Amino acid sequence: MDTFLGALVQGVLQGGVYALVVLGVIVVAKATKVINLAYGGILLVLTYLLWWLVDSMGLPLPVGLVIVLAAGVLVGFGIERLLMRPLMGRPEMDMITFLMTLVVGFTVMQGIAILAFGGVPQVMPRMFPEGNLNFAGVNFTYTSLFCFATAVAMFLAFVAYFRYSKNGLAMRCVSDDMIVSQSLGISVKRICSYAWAVGAVSAAVGGVLIGSMYAVDTNTGSFAMMRALPVLLLAGLDSLPGGFVGALLVGLAESFAGAYIDPHVGGFRELLPFILMLVILLVLPNGLFGKKAIRRI
Amino acid sequence: MLPGGLMTFKYESDMAIVRTRLQWILLCLGLVLLFAFPLTGSGYWLSWLTRLAVTIVAVLGLHILTGLCGQVSIGHAAFIGVGAYVAAVLSTRYGINGWLCLPLSGLAAGVVGVFFGLPSLRLRMFYLAMSTLAASYIIVWCFRNFDSLTGGFKGLSLDPLTLGGIDLGNHANFYLVAMAIMVLATFVAKNIQRTTVGRAFVAIRDNELAAEVNGIAVFRHKLLAFFIGCVFAGVAGWLWAYSQLRVNPEQFRILDSIWYLGMLIIGGMGSTTGVFMGALFLRLLEVAIDYIIPPLTDAFPSIATQLHVSLGLILFGTIIVAFMLFQPKGLYFLWLKLKTYYRIHPYSFVGET
Repeated sequence: MDTFLGALVQGVLQGGVYALVVLGVIVVAKATKVINLAYGGILLVLTYLLWWLVDSMGLPLPVGLVIVLAAGVLVGFGIERLLMRPLMGRPEMDMITFLMTLVVGFTVMQGIAILAFGGVPQVMPRMFPEGNLNFAGVNFTYTSLFCFATAVAMFLAFVAYFRYSKNGLAMRCVSDDMIVSQSLGISVKRICSYAWAVGAVSAAVGGVLIGSMYAVDTNTGSFAMMRALPVLLLAGLDSLPGGFVGALLVGLAESFAGAYIDPHVGGFRELLPFILMLVILLVLPNGLFGKKAIRRI
Repeated sequence: MLPGGLMTFKYESDMAIVRTRLQWILLCLGLVLLFAFPLTGSGYWLSWLTRLAVTIVAVLGLHILTGLCGQVSIGHAAFIGVGAYVAAVLSTRYGINGWLCLPLSGLAAGVVGVFFGLPSLRLRMFYLAMSTLAASYIIVWCFRNFDSLTGGFKGLSLDPLTLGGIDLGNHANFYLVAMAIMVLATFVAKNIQRTTVGRAFVAIRDNELAAEVNGIAVFRHKLLAFFIGCVFAGVAGWLWAYSQLRVNPEQFRILDSIWYLGMLIIGGMGSTTGVFMGALFLRLLEVAIDYIIPPLTDAFPSIATQLHVSLGLILFGTIIVAFMLFQPKGLYFLWLKLKTYYRIHPYSFVGET
């Protein structure tokens, strides 16, 4: 029973962080129809940046955080302006943008992170109180609790932004139809930039949280990406609440697999996201919350 | 665009791949030079060319899958790994003759490829790519964790191949095998484009709905594309295993899959010549990087170790991105433009005022 409760709590806490990670991908996918596979790379670079600013440069943590968030906005704008906007409207845009983000995330960003920050595993600066918390017989660290809280707060903030702000409304409008939005006086270019900036900022926060839960090394980017993808498939690419539920489910599945299957099959936990991806693809191609794709003839 | 003064009277000569006498001469000369290279070549370039041949066979498979049929695969390196591991496991654990492993490797990789291509029934582009991405991780995980069969992290060592008493373990002899398979693979790939199946692939790539309406069994052809592409990958894996004489999980990372896609992009999707150009381009760049790294590490000794790892990543990635932005049709298109310019030369100014 203790294993069960422990795995449950652990899974929910992790799921919260995954929700924040996947938010960045969903926002970009919703607004610009681009599946941002560069997300892991961006996350890696920004996480290393925070470590470098605080640990090597000796800046105080809040200053470092502000700089990292600003850097996130810049990276988002930069990628949108330099790489994505020239491709807009090109034939086979789906395939090209997809390959573009894949190449940028897995090679260029990875390379930059290694070149600039060494690519050695590093411990992130401490930002949450140390120690363990005991709740109903379940042990967990303060860090994971605070990470969960931060992630959920950020997630809700973003959701509120989409629901209630003017830009959020514009973003939803753009995701419906770019050309109609343009003719209604929405600057599609600006909205796409905003979406990428939001995506990169959520990458920064997600990376910092994951970094402080474990440590930061060159695999952090693909770690986050590989958790985000099954969530994305489960959520069906365009649903924010679906993203949250999906993230919790994936977090739970992962921690239960870690608790119950790992002792029998070593290393199963790291395989799970991919098996989940395959199963979702085969059984639920539209995800739990995605719009049913209707093929018109 | 045909050269001027070439008249064809039969359908066969209209469809021919090699059309002019000059092309025949160049082709024969090229083949002779290719197979005569070991007489003069240095060991370094021999093994480089062997690796190039393996790469080309692999990318030809990806070309059929992605370039012709339009199904993106990010798991190609893992499918190559399946071929390599099937050869290694069968020959070391079960003592099966290395040559017999060749068809088995191809077949095994093809079957695995079809399995991971199954989601293409209902899904397109991104989702399908996710399935191959998952394939990439799952397959490599299996290599790493089924210790008793695959040797875990350390991998397996193979015995060199022999053919009627000739030892194919040394570079020069295996080079010939690799080249022969590469030429054969090129022949097959080139001809697939002209068969019913190949044309169905292209139709599916260009417009799936139109293809279906025209009576092409889309799903079956997609799976067939996966099968053929992955058979090429399996054969490339077999070649890889016997050229390196050892396999381990580190050789089949997702990064390699990205390089294969990059070669396809740089060369230009949908042409076999493009495959050659792209593979040659990236492999030559690799050699160039080997040359520029020592002076760079001398210049910046503090980041020497990082440079080794990251320079290739950044440079390759940037070049692939640059091609996607500025020359999405790839090197082959440039070559085509040059050829057309040459062929219509005296009249190339007619259109301009």
